[in-house]
Amino acid sequence: MALRWSRWSPQLALVPAIAVTLVAFVGGIIWTVYLSLTRSRRIPEYTIDWSDWFRQYDRLFRDDAWAISLQNLIILGIGSALAIVFGFVLAAMIDRERRGESFFRTVFLYPLAISLIVTGAAWRWIFNPEYGVEPFLHSLGLTWVNASWLSSGETAMWAIILASVWQSSGFYMALMLAGLKSINSEIWSAARLDGVSLWKLYTQIIIPMMKFTFVTCAILLSLGVIKAYDVVVAMTNGGPGQSTYVPAFFTIQAMTGRGNLGFASAAAVMMLVITAIVFLPLVLLTAWQQRRSARIAK
Amino acid sequence: MSEITIAARNAKGEVTVSRAPYFPRKKKTITGRSIAVLVFLALCALFFCIPLYVVVVTSFKTMDQIREGAMFSLPYVWTLEAWDHAWNSACSGINCNGLKVGFWSSVSILIPSLILSIGISMITGYALALWNVRWAGAFLFILFICAFVPFQIIMFPLISMTAALKVYGSIWGVALVHAVLAMPVLTLIFRNYYKDIPQEIMSAAVMDSGSFWRIFTEIILPMSGNILIVVLIMQITSIWNDYLIGVTFGGPGSQPMTVNLANLITISTGVTRYNDNMAAALLTAIPPLVIYFFVGKLFVQGITAGAIKG
Repeated sequence: MALRWSRWSPQLALVPAIAVTLVAFVGGIIWTVYLSLTRSRRIPEYTIDWSDWFRQYDRLFRDDAWAISLQNLIILGIGSALAIVFGFVLAAMIDRERRGESFFRTVFLYPLAISLIVTGAAWRWIFNPEYGVEPFLHSLGLTWVNASWLSSGETAMWAIILASVWQSSGFYMALMLAGLKSINSEIWSAARLDGVSLWKLYTQIIIPMMKFTFVTCAILLSLGVIKAYDVVVAMTNGGPGQSTYVPAFFTIQAMTGRGNLGFASAAAVMMLVITAIVFLPLVLLTAWQQRRSARIAK
Repeated sequence: MSEITIAARNAKGEVTVSRAPYFPRKKKTITGRSIAVLVFLALCALFFCIPLYVVVVTSFKTMDQIREGAMFSLPYVWTLEAWDHAWNSACSGINCNGLKVGFWSSVSILIPSLILSIGISMITGYALALWNVRWAGAFLFILFICAFVPFQIIMFPLISMTAALKVYGSIWGVALVHAVLAMPVLTLIFRNYYKDIPQEIMSAAVMDSGSFWRIFTEIILPMSGNILIVVLIMQITSIWNDYLIGVTFGGPGSQPMTVNLANLITISTGVTRYNDNMAAALLTAIPPLVIYFFVGKLFVQGITAGAIKG
């Protein structure tokens, strides 16, 4: 519907937001893509050697730490997916057993309110090899337990995954709970009358009905995993060695630690590409959902 | 027979009513399952509380007790020494003035970035939702994409831009970058909220010779109380908890509390005072936790709105 009065004010009101979008986001992305084609080191250079424009990407793909970062990204993604499963189980239980709902919600969600640096600090302390949970378990006689995960490159990622799952399960629980509540309550009584087992009810009816919620959760999780930075800094700072590098950490390390702007830009562009790969289904999903809701509205 | 007797006269002749257990067996199985579910949920709740418990007890212990190694034990003597130390004299880099420096930086970052980000996004969302502007659809789509762009891809350009504006390394630099990065998501949230305002209200307001700004201040603003509080809570927690922007754009003396905390816990020189670290972690966590425990419902609304609509 067209409102033709004071035609210029709304357009003028958009100017700051458009300027920010064009300069900071669109301009920024173009700028970084351009830098990734140059030989910039600590100071940006703006000449592109077109015979060798792929140079930084070539170096990136040969870089061991980048390979570790990508591998850790996948490990972290799969590991963090536990948070969705865990979140769903918690939501399903809270939804069926209404007693104590607000108490459990409050407890499961509080980690989300605190900074990942704080989360990292807490878990780093729990995994402390001298005074942490390991000596505690050993003092109980469980001397075979190895719980100083952060001191070994093979297990450090597990500690990060545990901390991320602890932090984010409540969030997925909240999304799942919203999804479960929107399911028609008649399904429960219908299933009970038909004598459908609980397992079948969930795997064959409820979960398929909630596939949109699950896809949303999966995409949000993937985007979160790509952005994972704070928790790595707080728990391991990339170590031991480079064993807990992830792309977000690698990129910032390349820029501030190694001081190599072109190289860091190439890594940042790759991060954008990974985000786009994850993001594409979301765009399609939103379009699909809008078309579906439009059809229902008719 | 006795099971369906609902009322019976007792010795004094009064009618006593006992609840009739019509389906005693079925009820019993449900409670059994309920107990199992509640026990499981309670165990999960315990798992969620362990880190908080450990952090709290450690922050009240003395270093001598920590060295004994019993992580889960309660402090022999509850002492505020570590809290005092973390607040007043913990070292972040070369400055040893405690976390209070970071606390005040965080507060002074918070206020301008809240005003900037919410101000811009509110007006943009209002214009996009209720006025006929050109290319609104395309602009919304671009904002939608911007909301998901990883920070690293615009990190160096933002450093250069803030340096050109001479705010790099200051409170204003951090606040400005927060406002810029939050703008796309917030605009989408406000736009989604305003688009449900009935068109009749707008038409009537325009007929009443209301201009763009007058309608905003007299009609829209008073209607935005709910969404404003949700967004405010969401922004306060996310800006307070941010580390990356603070460490990138904050200079010495203008880094937020999280950066101080990260410096404190990752430092490896000298003897680590774990009780100080845990007290510092708690000090950083207290402001968002207080918000969460008082207005948890709005907090959840905020994060889910930010996640889905963004």
